[in-house]
Amino acid sequence: MEAQYLIGVFDEEESMLTAFRRMKEEELEIEDVFTPYPIHEVLDNHGRKSKITIVGWFYGLFAALGVLAFLVYTAVIDWPLNYGGKPSSAFPSFIVVTIILTILSITILSLGTFSWRANLWPSNEKPIYHDRATDDKFVILVKKENVDQNKASSLFKETGASEILEK
Amino acid sequence: MYNTEVRGPLILGNKSLGQITADITSPLYARPKFWWIVGLGISSILMLLGFWSIYVTISQGIGTWGVNNTVGWGWAIINFVWWIGIGHAGTAFSIFLLILRQEWRSSINRAAEAMTVVAVACAAIFPALHMGRIWDAFFIFPYPNTRGPLWVNYNSPLFWDFIAISAYLLISASFWYLGMIPDFATIRDNTKSKIKKAAYGFFAMGWRGSVGEWKRYEGLSYILGGIAAVLVVSVHSIVSTDFAVSVEPGWHTTIFPPYFVIGAIFSGFGMVMTLMIILRKIYKLEDFITNAHLDKVAKILIFISLIMGTAYLTEIFLAWYSGNEYEIFTFFHNRITGEFTIQFWCMFVFNALVPQLMWFKKIRSNLLIVFIISILINVGMWFERFNIVITSLTKNYLPSAWASYTPTFVEISMYLGTIGIFTFGVLLFFKYIPMIAISEVKAVNKFQAKESKVKSQPSKED
Repeated sequence: MEAQYLIGVFDEEESMLTAFRRMKEEELEIEDVFTPYPIHEVLDNHGRKSKITIVGWFYGLFAALGVLAFLVYTAVIDWPLNYGGKPSSAFPSFIVVTIILTILSITILSLGTFSWRANLWPSNEKPIYHDRATDDKFVILVKKENVDQNKASSLFKETGASEILEK
Repeated sequence: MYNTEVRGPLILGNKSLGQITADITSPLYARPKFWWIVGLGISSILMLLGFWSIYVTISQGIGTWGVNNTVGWGWAIINFVWWIGIGHAGTAFSIFLLILRQEWRSSINRAAEAMTVVAVACAAIFPALHMGRIWDAFFIFPYPNTRGPLWVNYNSPLFWDFIAISAYLLISASFWYLGMIPDFATIRDNTKSKIKKAAYGFFAMGWRGSVGEWKRYEGLSYILGGIAAVLVVSVHSIVSTDFAVSVEPGWHTTIFPPYFVIGAIFSGFGMVMTLMIILRKIYKLEDFITNAHLDKVAKILIFISLIMGTAYLTEIFLAWYSGNEYEIFTFFHNRITGEFTIQFWCMFVFNALVPQLMWFKKIRSNLLIVFIISILINVGMWFERFNIVITSLTKNYLPSAWASYTPTFVEISMYLGTIGIFTFGVLLFFKYIPMIAISEVKAVNKFQAKESKVKSQPSKED
């Protein structure tokens, strides 16, 4: 099979960032960037957006309403019990359970969303383009069909890539 | 944002990224040391003792414990609250410091969270067994049953407690695991062993460090951090309502929720200190967990110890100021003086006074003394729970109902058993999981390297 990707491997974060900036200027499309730790300049300017925090907020809203509705249904509507003559619709004592279960629901649902959107699940095997990208290398990946190959590889060279691979 | 000039270097030794990986992962590849196997053996023996006591409790019932009608809560509840308190360290540590953007947390949070998960699991054993008929434990779930359906009582703090503890266990475990995903990927890509590659690869879930992964990872850690901060405060407040809602002298006060939360964080940080001193020593991680890190934890301990002292004095003052004879009796004749004097003063001295020694730089930088203080804090916190549970229950309103309490061998071995589970879990953690969050430490290191570069190069203007 012919190689689909051109891969620039950098030893230093700075040189990778220089390459990243220049590729943005010259409008060379970057497929992905792999780094051992989050680099905010890349995350903010790569163009992908994550709405996970907003989604998480809505999970919280719906979970809170859902839990409260469940508590009211079970304790007030379905089978009201007499606890020493206290009102069965005791909102203050529902608050604690609502808060805790809301937090639990947000956690479970947003973990699920994370796993789905970031494409991560146990024993998942995605192609690994450079096996030191999780250790000490910074890797820029471009798709060959999207860019001018010569331009991209000369840019990688100029900005100090330690390796240029094709895969 | 944090400033290296104020904080000093967070990681010593000018390490390259590759070196950081190698330093932190080396214990994972090394053969287990002799002390590790011995430790595992001792904790297994303790665990066996614990399992025996659980077996006795389940097969013969709570009658094998020293509890009676008057003192219904004995060692089980003391140990439950004690373990939950220790379990507050990890989450308090990583979450509050994550929200406050305190970068120095990154060397410690992984171990603190590991502690949390194991300690909460230990804690959960006690209330479950204290129910008496553990095979009916599922009655506590609000599920549509054939008895009506008869739902549970949402007004009961014991139900809140069940919800809070199980949620806390699940959430702290997921937060811990989320933090480990990038590090598992690092090991998967680094290791030469096929078994390790498969095992860590399974748990790394295909992590590659791409833009999409990091972006969502960061978003998710802030979501979890933000909501778990609420959880840290609420879980131990709920534990305190188990006490505060009942009308026992010494329990029925509004100070209980904050007092319990602070106490939990105090004992948790004490345990973090104990563990960190051991960990950096035996794994030679002094470059990552520096003296400056321990110094900061020590300062936090001094501060919380002051709050603890204030809380103790407030309680005593209010007992006197309320004019309530039962409160006065409990505090002045059953704690400060009387049958439980030793336990009370152990609590007071170990928690409120001894940590104050760390105001002195000389003491704070002597790790042996700090280590002893951190152990004393945990002992003191155990006595605090003893004071709360036992002194209030033994002698309350009716002198004819007064009773005494001594734990039986079954209760003691259950406590030893949980200590065994804790050390067993921590030892496995030492061996199989990177003890320091590799990717976080790398980010901190990079920041630091940039700062020092800027400093060493004179700027163009001058």
